[in-house]
Amino acid sequence: MTKTETILSLRNISRTFGNKAAVKDVTLDIKEGELFTIVGPSGSGKSTLIRMLAGLETPSAGDILLRGTRINDMPANRRPTCMVFQSLALFNHMTVGENIEFALTVRGADRKARRERARELMALVRLPQEFYGKSVLRCSGGERQRVALARALASDPDILFFDEPLSAIDYRLRKILEMEMKDLNRETGKTFVYITHSLEEAMVMSDRIAVMRDGEIVQLGDPLSIYNAPSTRFVAEFMGQVNLLPVAVDGSGSYVIEGIGAPVAQAFHAGPHSSIMLRPERLRLLDKGRRADVEFDATCFNFYLLGSRTHIHLRRDERTFIVELSPDMAVPEPGAVVRVGFDWTDAVSVQGEAP
Amino acid sequence: MMTREQRTGLALMLPPALLLVAGFLLPLLFVVYTSFMPPRTFGLASPPTLENYVTAVRESYWRPFAWSIFFATATTIATGLISWPIAKALVRSSRRFAVTVSVLIAVPVFIAESVRLFGAHLFLMPRGGILAGTIQYLLGLNIGSVLFTPVATLLGLFYIYLPFALFPMVLGLSLVPRDQLEAAQDLGASPWQQVRYIELPVASPGIIIGSLLVFVLALGATTEAHILGGQSAVPVVHAIEQRFNYAQDWPLGSALATVLCVITAALVFPLISRLNIDRLFSR
Repeated sequence: MTKTETILSLRNISRTFGNKAAVKDVTLDIKEGELFTIVGPSGSGKSTLIRMLAGLETPSAGDILLRGTRINDMPANRRPTCMVFQSLALFNHMTVGENIEFALTVRGADRKARRERARELMALVRLPQEFYGKSVLRCSGGERQRVALARALASDPDILFFDEPLSAIDYRLRKILEMEMKDLNRETGKTFVYITHSLEEAMVMSDRIAVMRDGEIVQLGDPLSIYNAPSTRFVAEFMGQVNLLPVAVDGSGSYVIEGIGAPVAQAFHAGPHSSIMLRPERLRLLDKGRRADVEFDATCFNFYLLGSRTHIHLRRDERTFIVELSPDMAVPEPGAVVRVGFDWTDAVSVQGEAP
Repeated sequence: MMTREQRTGLALMLPPALLLVAGFLLPLLFVVYTSFMPPRTFGLASPPTLENYVTAVRESYWRPFAWSIFFATATTIATGLISWPIAKALVRSSRRFAVTVSVLIAVPVFIAESVRLFGAHLFLMPRGGILAGTIQYLLGLNIGSVLFTPVATLLGLFYIYLPFALFPMVLGLSLVPRDQLEAAQDLGASPWQQVRYIELPVASPGIIIGSLLVFVLALGATTEAHILGGQSAVPVVHAIEQRFNYAQDWPLGSALATVLCVITAALVFPLISRLNIDRLFSR
């Protein structure tokens, strides 16, 4: 399925609380049927942004367009959108069935139609049918999650918003639910807008990702392009384990890698506060005879088994480097001095000061 | 065999249980039994009779009952309706505002009821009264007065019992999570539907407690009718009092009191059994 049709447009959206700007001038197009994720640390404004899209918060400036129609002043109960809350916000005084049927109840659907739809949705989100009459208070974390999802889907909304709904779920179950979420997006064909502070979560699920910081979108793109080419140091570090080698200008005015002293390739002469980013899999151990564009020595400090791969941490002066080893490679002894290196074609230039 | 804990529990329960039996249950049984004694007697030795109940029905004692039930119902509804927006404002507002308003509403409770009612009396008096006098002075209008009418009694009841409805309702509404209201709105619920499906059921323990307090207290109230209502409408407790004092007819008074107890129990118990007090204190 090609996703080209724009369903939701944000035009210069801002939101201020008192004199604090939570969201600053965000412009963005979300396409029909895609799973769009907004990632950012807490306080980056992502929750405020999604609340404005759902109609629970009004923008201070800018326009929200749904299929070209301005919906800034449309209250949440009239928008064809639904949200899964971080707290889930299940109605604890109701049963699983009553929760799922709520959107139909308030629309005046008759009992039989509501029940039928609830059964259908329970099957879709993989909730056993006998949960229908169960109190939501007696459901487990994962079950509550599914109830919230079914409840949001009940009114057949055009767009589903997710405000970090998996943050309170344990790791193993979260991994399962992340994939189910992506499957559900494919099965229903609905537009999902998802918020998370975990880039790992965003990577697994998303068609496109927007990275937010201090109320602004700092990078927008598909997961692979963000992973391979983060635009700033913030995005690079936020993406998890990376090596950042700061670029410095030495006494003679030439660009060198700080702490290593190797000259920097022309393409990476990007002014002050730029760094060279290298993924752990791009920094290689140089065994006998193997060469690289930049080479240096470092001491093996420790190693970490991550299932199919191994990360070793190397130290040189005060700096730590992460190198990923493929499964067939021998892990060097801690304390051993090894030679590592990288090629310029594997490196990415990123901007921005160290946080 | 009882465990040590059960024995301790029983021992702790015994003093209040004895007090309740001696101070509450026995006098109540005494009243019920007296209601079956012949009219205007003072002993318990006569053979039981239903004569007092027949008199109660025949001599239109339903009137004070009707007035009291009307007053209690109207007061419960009025205090409930007014408490709702105030309680919502208190729950949602800043702590400072909430404390100020609460104190303003609660302080009068510490002043004797009759003193406050005499204040209301002065306020409502015709001609020279605070309300009528001020309007006459400022606008030259003679508005008359509701004093010594059932309306004045109702105003007095409302004024005295508002806090009893308000504070439990605040407690009840504070149980309503904000995110659940937002979720309901997001799922398409109109403001009224949010009240009906979320706020009312979740806040119900507080609303039920407040309504019961107001209803039961207003059903047994006499001072308001006395000071503000004049003789326009006699509440049932006043009628019972008269049977015991002026008329010296204890059995008839007891019969009326028994009927009042039965009516109260019939209204209160179904509500209490639906009340989940645990939920009110679980947060």
